[in-house]
Amino acid sequence: MDALLIAQGVSRFTAPALDYHALAPEIILTGVLVVVLVLDLFLDETQKYLLPTVAGTGVLLAFVPVLTLALTGDDLRPMFDGAYVSDNFALVLKGLFLLTGYVVILMSNRYIEEGDYHVGEYYFLLLSSLLGMVVMASSRDLITIFVALELLSIPAYLLAGWRKRDLKSNEASLKYYLLGVLASGVMLYGMSLVFGATGTTVLIRIQERLAEIEGGQLDNVVTVGIFFIIVGFAFKVSAVPFHFWAPDTYEGAPTPITAYLSVASKTAGFVALLQLVFVGFLGQPDVWRPLFWFLAAITMTVGNLIALRQTNIVRMLAYSSVAQAGYILVPFAVAGENAEALQSAQTAAIVYLIVYAAMNLGAFSVILAVARKTRSGEITSFGGLFQYAPGLTVVMSIFLFSLAGIPPVAGWFAKFVVFRAALDAGTTWSIVLAIIAGLNSVVALFYYSNIARQMWMMPVPDGDRTPIRVPAALGIALGLCVLVVALGVYPEPFARLGDLASLVP
Amino acid sequence: MELYTPVVALAVLAAGFAVFSIVMSVLTGPRRYNRAKLDSYECGIEPTPQPMGGGRFPVKYFITAMLFIIFDIEIVFLFPWAVAFDSMGLFGLIEMVVFIATLFVVYAYVWRRGGLEWD
Repeated sequence: MDALLIAQGVSRFTAPALDYHALAPEIILTGVLVVVLVLDLFLDETQKYLLPTVAGTGVLLAFVPVLTLALTGDDLRPMFDGAYVSDNFALVLKGLFLLTGYVVILMSNRYIEEGDYHVGEYYFLLLSSLLGMVVMASSRDLITIFVALELLSIPAYLLAGWRKRDLKSNEASLKYYLLGVLASGVMLYGMSLVFGATGTTVLIRIQERLAEIEGGQLDNVVTVGIFFIIVGFAFKVSAVPFHFWAPDTYEGAPTPITAYLSVASKTAGFVALLQLVFVGFLGQPDVWRPLFWFLAAITMTVGNLIALRQTNIVRMLAYSSVAQAGYILVPFAVAGENAEALQSAQTAAIVYLIVYAAMNLGAFSVILAVARKTRSGEITSFGGLFQYAPGLTVVMSIFLFSLAGIPPVAGWFAKFVVFRAALDAGTTWSIVLAIIAGLNSVVALFYYSNIARQMWMMPVPDGDRTPIRVPAALGIALGLCVLVVALGVYPEPFARLGDLASLVP
Repeated sequence: MELYTPVVALAVLAAGFAVFSIVMSVLTGPRRYNRAKLDSYECGIEPTPQPMGGGRFPVKYFITAMLFIIFDIEIVFLFPWAVAFDSMGLFGLIEMVVFIATLFVVYAYVWRRGGLEWD
């Protein structure tokens, strides 16, 4: 009897239509990570320097189909009954993830080899995690989102503990792992409730079903489900009060991985939130808007206030990135008041993610370069940097002013679109949130300018004025970030990308 | 905001239940000595004695267990494919070859890194 049922079930099997052009970035990335792993097995120690080159080239190769897909222009390419979609939103964010990954590979180039770590496995895991993010940008289905999230998180847990003889690195990995798994559990519970109420996992169908059952007896189930899903992702984007892992993990992890976690991993969490909120739960703003309002306000304030007191620059940037997550949450909190506000909220979130990636990666690149000489993470170790590394000082100042949101650099434009989104919504609540964000920008200026003050005005702590030699790869990474941040004087491209990547029809 | 009433109610109920259970078991539970109750819990079987050399297991057991899981999952996927081989046709065959080839990379990695050697 069972066999008969199975036979009937599978007789209706039809091969899904696969769009290989749309899947090309993922396929290339998978191929490259396999090549890196196999190559590592057969190279001797003296040839390991080839691995970052292969990994970096592979990431750029995967970027090619993203460009060709963007140029062909036939926007929407849905697969698997709408569960996996390649559209402009996916393309813009895949591009962002791949370039972020490339910059992180450039940053890791010397760091990992000099530290005598497992080079091949490092790049293999980095690429695996990157693949998870690229998949995340196309996921429009609860299960696919979850698989993408685990694919990007599990390698990241390992990478955070890569300096395995260092206790701090072990602590970083363990805390990140335990809290990450807890967040996944909470999120899965929420997903199961939403699935139970709607009977589907595809986001666009969830949107339709939620509209049908609204006002019925399942409202409470849906509310709790959405609440838990958002809380799960709040862990990933390190929003207060779910941020406790972030500073310890960022401090203990190898610096390139800290940059990767604070930029790519956080962006992936926001990408998932964008898809869930703007596709799946679009009709339920009463559920998520107050939640995001609370998260945004408390995240900005707590992140900035604790950052003020930090003496270690990586910890300071960790709290600063918590605070920045608060700014990115503002558009979510004000979205959906009216059609225009919905659109401008989405643009704001994406523009902020792009700019934030460039300025934060840049700041971490400078920290890496300086730490090569000073071997220290204290803010005072930046004292008098201008006297022996004027180039790095100028570049770091640009990144710091961008993070603080001072015109004309890109960080200013990112803040501007966030404020515009809040004002477009035009309710009392959104204006109050804009005021909180404004006050926080002033607080943030204190600790960002403190580093600038150290670099420009303070004496060199140990009097050692030998210049810093920046490795070529790190130099390219810095150059890319400066280029993007300097684009703030002509912010048109950011706005174009943000508008292009619209999930709202 | 009234949508959040059930969330708060659920949280209060859950916390209340946990506190109630613990307090009631402390207040009303009998406390009789029983050696088995104080043993460490190992899925209901008799606890095994501590291993030699300071309570450490060789890491080889862990690697073997991990490898077992990887290839066990391969079988889990191979089995339904074998049952439905006819209807899945060429598409299924190609997908399975890709899947097995990917797992073969894992196998090659483990082999080359010495994960299959016991000593």
